[in-house]
Amino acid sequence: MAKTTGKLELRALTKEFGNGSEKVVAVKELSLTINPGEFVTLLGPSGCGKTTALRMVAGFETPTSGQVLLDGEDLSALTPDRRPMGMVFQSYALFPHMTVFDNVAYGLKVKKFSTAQIKKEVGEILDSMNLAHLTNRAPNQLSGGQQQRVALARAMVVRPKVLLFDEPLSNLDAKLRAQMRIEIRNIQRRLGITSIFVTHDQDEAMSLSDRIVVMRNAVVEQSGTPEEIYRRPSSVFVADFIGRSNFLSVAEVKKGASGKVTVEASGVKLKVNAHPKALKSAHPHLLVRPESVSVKKSSSSSKSRKANEGVVKNVVFYGNHVEYSIDTPTQTIAAVVSDPVYDEIVPVGAVAKIDFDESRAWLLPSDSAVITSEE
Amino acid sequence: MALKRSGTKYDIFTKIALVLVVAIVFFLIILPLLNILIYSTQPTGSAIITNAFSDEVIRQILWNTMKLGLTVAFLGTLLGFIMAYTQARVEFRGKKVLHIINLVPIISPPFAFATAVIVLFGRSGIITRGIFDWRPTLYGYTGLVLVLTLSFFPIAYMNLLGMLRSLDPALDEAGSSLGASKWRIFRTVTLPLLIPGFAGSFLLLFIESIADLANPLIIGGNYTVLASRAYMAINGDYDIPMAAGYSFLLLLPALLVFLVQRYWAQRKSVVSVTGKPSGRPTVVTSPLARFFLLSVTFLLTSLIVLVYATVVLGAFVKIIGVENSFTLEHFRYLLGGFANAAVKATTFLALIATPLAGIFGMLIAWLVIRKVRRGSEALDFLGMLGIAVPGTVIGIGYAITYNDPVKIGGVTVFPQVAGGAAIFGGAIAIVMVYIIRSSPAGQRSGISLLQQIDPSIEEASASLGASGGRTFRLVTLPLISGAFLSGLMYAFAHSMTTLSPIIFLVTPDISILTQKILAEADQGRYGNVFALCCMLIVLIMVIGGLINLLVRRFQVSTDRPLVTGR
Repeated sequence: MAKTTGKLELRALTKEFGNGSEKVVAVKELSLTINPGEFVTLLGPSGCGKTTALRMVAGFETPTSGQVLLDGEDLSALTPDRRPMGMVFQSYALFPHMTVFDNVAYGLKVKKFSTAQIKKEVGEILDSMNLAHLTNRAPNQLSGGQQQRVALARAMVVRPKVLLFDEPLSNLDAKLRAQMRIEIRNIQRRLGITSIFVTHDQDEAMSLSDRIVVMRNAVVEQSGTPEEIYRRPSSVFVADFIGRSNFLSVAEVKKGASGKVTVEASGVKLKVNAHPKALKSAHPHLLVRPESVSVKKSSSSSKSRKANEGVVKNVVFYGNHVEYSIDTPTQTIAAVVSDPVYDEIVPVGAVAKIDFDESRAWLLPSDSAVITSEE
Repeated sequence: MALKRSGTKYDIFTKIALVLVVAIVFFLIILPLLNILIYSTQPTGSAIITNAFSDEVIRQILWNTMKLGLTVAFLGTLLGFIMAYTQARVEFRGKKVLHIINLVPIISPPFAFATAVIVLFGRSGIITRGIFDWRPTLYGYTGLVLVLTLSFFPIAYMNLLGMLRSLDPALDEAGSSLGASKWRIFRTVTLPLLIPGFAGSFLLLFIESIADLANPLIIGGNYTVLASRAYMAINGDYDIPMAAGYSFLLLLPALLVFLVQRYWAQRKSVVSVTGKPSGRPTVVTSPLARFFLLSVTFLLTSLIVLVYATVVLGAFVKIIGVENSFTLEHFRYLLGGFANAAVKATTFLALIATPLAGIFGMLIAWLVIRKVRRGSEALDFLGMLGIAVPGTVIGIGYAITYNDPVKIGGVTVFPQVAGGAAIFGGAIAIVMVYIIRSSPAGQRSGISLLQQIDPSIEEASASLGASGGRTFRLVTLPLISGAFLSGLMYAFAHSMTTLSPIIFLVTPDISILTQKILAEADQGRYGNVFALCCMLIVLIMVIGGLINLLVRRFQVSTDRPLVTGR
């Protein structure tokens, strides 16, 4: 469904709390353009400013400086009730004293729809979300997933130009969360509503978004498609926050032909893609995801092993994949081998030869961030 | 997560509400207080203040007031704690009945205790003289302590009971699993956690007892306190500045203690209210402790029952203890004309004030918790002034302020509302007093309720396009209607029984029940006093019940039971 409205621009949005020595910058000069119908996720650890940013868009927080524009119109002067946006809250925030019907009808009543129209619109959206049988229930008679769907229906029935989600899935159990992710994405695509989704859950961000904006300490660390964020992270922080990572220290960085860079890691020469800043960086790191590490049994003893061989410290068999941690002379490497062959799993204490898939490796500039160890 | 979110723009509804609240608070309490300050600078007023410690008479009055306040605060807190602990931690039959009896003094008319205690324990008391042939002098310090402690201990009782119930029983269990005896747990866990509750109760009781006027007038004898002296300055010396001077001396400690109570004692509270206590509280099983707790409880409760039995009986016999023959003459006399007008006026004015006080209290609570960013504590304090300032001071302040039109630079900004020459014979001033004295209760319960309601529920309404006023009406108000109801009930009962500010505002056209009771008590016609008290109690119960029904009709249940099918 082609949409021409719902283009949202955040211009140097800044929010400071407190003053004087207690001043805290929650969001610092956040600039972002979200195209009509695009689904953007603000992702980051708690306290990174993502919720504050969302609340400024909704109008619940007044920016210290900067602007929010919708289709070119500055919203700064508008209170939340004047902004054509719908919000889905972490706690769902259903009106506990109203039935499901009245909850969903609320926004339409405010907009002075006729009773017949309200009945029709509410009926349609409840039907489409499989909530029709709950029309006359009170919110406290619903399960968490049902409450979540009512909250979503309530926000969408008024046809907002922008939908805002404030960690709406964090109170659901894992299975329901996965199911709701798909439901939210399908409905959003069908209606083509510009959406901002705030979460600290990388799976949510990856599975829902057209674009992910990773935030850290009040600023945007990286903005890109899920593939870019995962394969081409701009910093160690982003790589570490999204998915699991091995960061190999490298030597002999050389720029080769076809834009690739030749590096030596764990005694092996690899031709890899590199972040533009990586070549200028003093100590670049090579990012290799655990699933890009292959593991084979080696005949070497633990004394005579080579640089690309290590002693298996840990093996966990999950059925569809097996996870290793392997001690090489320089560091511990995490590896994930999917669909493992029954008798090729390397036992604890044995020596394994490891290979890195150079086509999926990514050279990163060094980062002040402390590399958190794998749990 | 912080409940209050900062940074929201004030919408138009909030702005209007804020201006309205500040204006109402200004005229209903600030202006009368300012006038007290102004008048107390005049010669006879400033003489009282400057000689407060050098003049022996004034010093004695000050000391009397403080001594009374401290004794009642101590005894009331102690009794309140014993009753609360028994209620929370001792198993016995009739617990619920006991709880209700303990709460009755809160809504009872101010004279019931004083007059009943005189009849029971005075010089010719039914018990003291009738049974023990003992003729003690009750008028003065002893009688006041007895009556005030009985009247005010329920405040400490409720306060401490709430805290005891919110203590996590797991704390006791943790203590005993570490090898501590029950007595040791009581000493080292329970008591320390309740210290803020003790402090808070003590301070509240102190304020209530130094501010009380009705009891010192009836049972105080020669024991003069600041409130009764200020009253005498108006009604005996006819010296307004002098009354303002005494009011000032009373206002200062009352406000100070109130501030300490609100902003220190409450902050110190370490009892967590989040989460439901798990498990059941440990029960007192030691026979000795049970015996002690139950005896005190039984004695105190019997005393309360005895007092009310005296009130009811006394209303239906000629002279209780002297001529115990059944009669309706008190009621016949009262309803024959003496009290008719007062019953009508009191009920009518209280009914007007009740919803206004309820809405006003709720509005402040909502602004304080949800809307105002800077200065929300100041706004909260302004709203509470009506209860922090002693009634005597408010009454005198009103008399000074509203017996003439309020003028600024020759322009009338507020008409004359008090005194016989005012519109409606001074009824408006009385309604104003009722409102400012009762709204704090609604404000408190509204605040505690709003703190429990997720703010995103109101944000959801805003994000669906509802304006501030609409959100307040459709979402906030229905959700806090429970607190609203209890606020209304309290407002009504409080208005009906209040005396100290009203006594300065009654006019020949408007007479008020409590003031009639005082007049009858003054004349020693206790039969009439008891009959009036009975009428007042019945009125409160009947109309309170009606309010309850009415509000419940409009109240929406937030936790209705599961509906099967559709």
